[in-house]
Amino acid sequence: MRSCVWIIAALALLGAVPAAKIQSMIAKPTVLCGRFDQTKQLVGLKKPVKSRGRFCVLAEKGVLWRSEWPFANTIKLTRDEIVQLQGERVAMRLEAKKEPTVRMINSVLFALLAGDLDQLEKLFEIDGDVNHQSWHVTLKPRTAALARAIGAITLDGAEYVKNIAINESSGDRTSIVFSAIQTGEGAMTVDEAALF
Amino acid sequence: MTRRGLPVFLWTVIVGSLLAHNVYLWVSGGIHPDTDILALLPAERRDPALEQASVKMVGAAEQRLIALIGAPDWAEARRAADAYREVLARHGDLFQLTDQAGERMESDFLALFGRYRQVLLTTADEAALHNRPAQFWIDTALAKLSSPFSGPQLGAWQDDPFGLFRSWAQARAQETPVRPRDGRLFVSDTRRAYVVIPINLRAPAFSVGGQQLALPILERARQAAQSAVPRANVLEAGVVLHAAFAGAQAQRELSIIGIGSLSGIVLLMGLAFRSIKPIGLILLSIAVGCLGALSVSSLVFEKIHLITLVFGASLIGVAQDYGIYFLCQRLSANSEIDSWQLLRRVLPALILALVTTVIGYTGLALTPFPGLRQMAVFSVTGLIFGWLTVALWFPTLARERAGKPLPLAERRAAASMRWPLICRNRATYSALAALAIFAAIGWSYLSAQDDIRSLHNPPKKLLDDQIKISELLDLPTPAQFFLLRGATPEILLEREETLKTRLDPLVERKLLTGYHAISNWVPSAHRQTSRRRLVEKALLSDDGALAVLAQQIGEDRHWVAALGARLLAPAEPLTVDEFLKAPASEPWRHLWLGKSADGYASVVALSGLGKAGLAALSQAADGLQGVQWVDKVGEISSVLAKYRYAMSWVLLLSYLAVFGLLYPRYGFAGWRALGPTALASIATLAILGIMGKGIELFHILALMLLLGIGVDYGIFFQEQGRADDGATWLSVALSALSTLLSFGLLALSKTPALQAFGLTMALGIITVCLIVPFFRKQ
Repeated sequence: MRSCVWIIAALALLGAVPAAKIQSMIAKPTVLCGRFDQTKQLVGLKKPVKSRGRFCVLAEKGVLWRSEWPFANTIKLTRDEIVQLQGERVAMRLEAKKEPTVRMINSVLFALLAGDLDQLEKLFEIDGDVNHQSWHVTLKPRTAALARAIGAITLDGAEYVKNIAINESSGDRTSIVFSAIQTGEGAMTVDEAALF
Repeated sequence: MTRRGLPVFLWTVIVGSLLAHNVYLWVSGGIHPDTDILALLPAERRDPALEQASVKMVGAAEQRLIALIGAPDWAEARRAADAYREVLARHGDLFQLTDQAGERMESDFLALFGRYRQVLLTTADEAALHNRPAQFWIDTALAKLSSPFSGPQLGAWQDDPFGLFRSWAQARAQETPVRPRDGRLFVSDTRRAYVVIPINLRAPAFSVGGQQLALPILERARQAAQSAVPRANVLEAGVVLHAAFAGAQAQRELSIIGIGSLSGIVLLMGLAFRSIKPIGLILLSIAVGCLGALSVSSLVFEKIHLITLVFGASLIGVAQDYGIYFLCQRLSANSEIDSWQLLRRVLPALILALVTTVIGYTGLALTPFPGLRQMAVFSVTGLIFGWLTVALWFPTLARERAGKPLPLAERRAAASMRWPLICRNRATYSALAALAIFAAIGWSYLSAQDDIRSLHNPPKKLLDDQIKISELLDLPTPAQFFLLRGATPEILLEREETLKTRLDPLVERKLLTGYHAISNWVPSAHRQTSRRRLVEKALLSDDGALAVLAQQIGEDRHWVAALGARLLAPAEPLTVDEFLKAPASEPWRHLWLGKSADGYASVVALSGLGKAGLAALSQAADGLQGVQWVDKVGEISSVLAKYRYAMSWVLLLSYLAVFGLLYPRYGFAGWRALGPTALASIATLAILGIMGKGIELFHILALMLLLGIGVDYGIFFQEQGRADDGATWLSVALSALSTLLSFGLLALSKTPALQAFGLTMALGIITVCLIVPFFRKQ
């Protein structure tokens, strides 16, 4: 479930790992894939916006986030770039060469992968509690800029992260629920693997 | 007071006041040798806007220093940078550290641009708004709605549903790769992370005193960074580093040339005259010359450049010529002859010698390079004061024969007098023929060189650091840019926008990586209006993307109306003034030159410009009104080339002018005074050719000097009384040797321009000295 923490770290330029105890509960596979169900409650919109799809986290490589419904949209994060694909079309490409934060996001990602928790604790105040097999963590950005960019984050999980909730300072709220986690060689589909 | 006493007295008063003035200058600190590396470059007084642009692009950075502290790991880089910073922070009187990357940056940015978000579009988005169907924008908005992450966000979804403002902000952010991170400025390449530390120097960058204070502290800061993190590396760039290097080099050369020339002259005079008095007299004339040169130069010029002093030190080897000539004549003259009578006898030769030398130095003043002009003024006044000392004091001070000539000198002199006269026998014709062949071969190797590097040649470490920093920070080149002018800010912005449409294809062809312009931030009012219309039509109209999107996400017409109203840009356009007042404009303010007498001017700066791009860019603005391509490097090279060519003609004309000067006294025989120098110049060029040196303006200017000084020896040889007169040979030999010593030492200079001078002069003087006896009077 640490993988999902990576996603958050990567996605939002922030990461969080609570105490050593939680760390010991989380599995550390090299490939982890699963399904997500996301609900966004945006300021100014009456109805929540829902989407669902698949995600993969690859140690040393990056993260794939594929919305399947209501339409296909893929985000791929690697060390050198962040690419957004709308169908086949590249809707956005951020290269690390031009946008250094890309590498920063990835360095946080890879720091997490390597178990470098110190790095993340510099960005967030980590507050959490553990009950038997599950845990709950709140990440509070240490800097105002980070708070403005992402707001506060809560994570719930056990062996893997189960829920993520992001409360942005703008008032937009995102909640993601993960399911059907698979690890190991067979976790990725062929076309997912082709993207890396 | 006698008729002869008056000039002696007057000169004593003048020298006394020179002395007083010099003491005053040194005590009051009036002499600050200047180390401005740009001082040698041509001035642009004719075009105030261009000058202002150049100063802002290069000069505004004078007080700036930039340090990059790198390490393989960001945490390490931070630790090393903190150690570096701490050392500098202790010297707040010298270094002003700009604030650490502030928390406020983003909110400042949004406060200004957020209000105008609908007219701040990238070129690509603007084109897409024209060309793409509504469905494209609906998809974009939906993707943005559903994705948990799609790049850095600026505000809530409803403030920028189509991501237009975000693209624009991203494009602006990408104008520099520097990012705030953990309260510091961060930049990286594939292997290292760097903390960027901008520093403002509080002491003037070109003052030697300021450099001597600042440099050791920077060195300590470097050491502190490296002892905190051994793997850390420190890159530094700043005008002060170049200036300090140039200054230290000039001071070193100044003392080498000064001390070397002086001790050489003392030794030579000692050997030749075997007496203290002549040495004292010659040193006196040199000293008065130098005092005069310093006094007059400090009155004429605001600051004296160190390079002027280095070049001026070679004056030591020239200013003694007249004194030596007088003393040698005194030595050989009948002791019954009164010194004043002797002066009257040698005065015509002395005057001619002075005038020709002054002509030689005047060549320097004819160029548009302020540094060279200063050298000319310094040298000419030094010569005149030295000469006047000889003419006014020497008859009184050297009443009797001073010293006795070395028998060796007399024997050598006598031997040289037996050298065949030119054009008198077959041997000299064959020698001339040999010289002609040699010259033809040498000249065939000659090529021209007009490189800016002959003016400034920084050490490799400084250059490497600078190149690396420019790459990391993607800095625009300060030497090439577009200068735009317009009657109003609006016209100027529109002209920038037109220019940018020509630059975009060049960016796509990777001839440059990007450009910086105020219009990137503030579109022209015209453009803002057209974008407002475009956005309203494509996105906000009744059947536009927003309305369709609303249906898809289950919102009603009221929602569309409310969001549409929210997204509308204010009617008043964003103005340059408003932008310039905002903190976000800080890094770009130098691009706006503002109002001047003939309207407004601005700069479009270019980054990542390679050699291949230069040709395309120089033509990019062809036919555009009010846009001027400025290439300082190319321009300086072309100025160097132009003056190399022009000064070659001036050199030839100077030979004619000098011949005209000599004519009243020597008639057509004047060619004998001029011949040695002319042949020596031809031979020198041939030698330079064989040495593989490209001929620069400075070689030609040195040949002007060679004319001025070399012709003196010819004159002295035309003046000799008897055919076996050793005094002339002795004085020419002594003069030539000391001149040779001074310029030979100048040839060791690390400043290529001075080196060119020194080498040309040294080669020329040797040759003149060897062949001048062939041209003696029949």
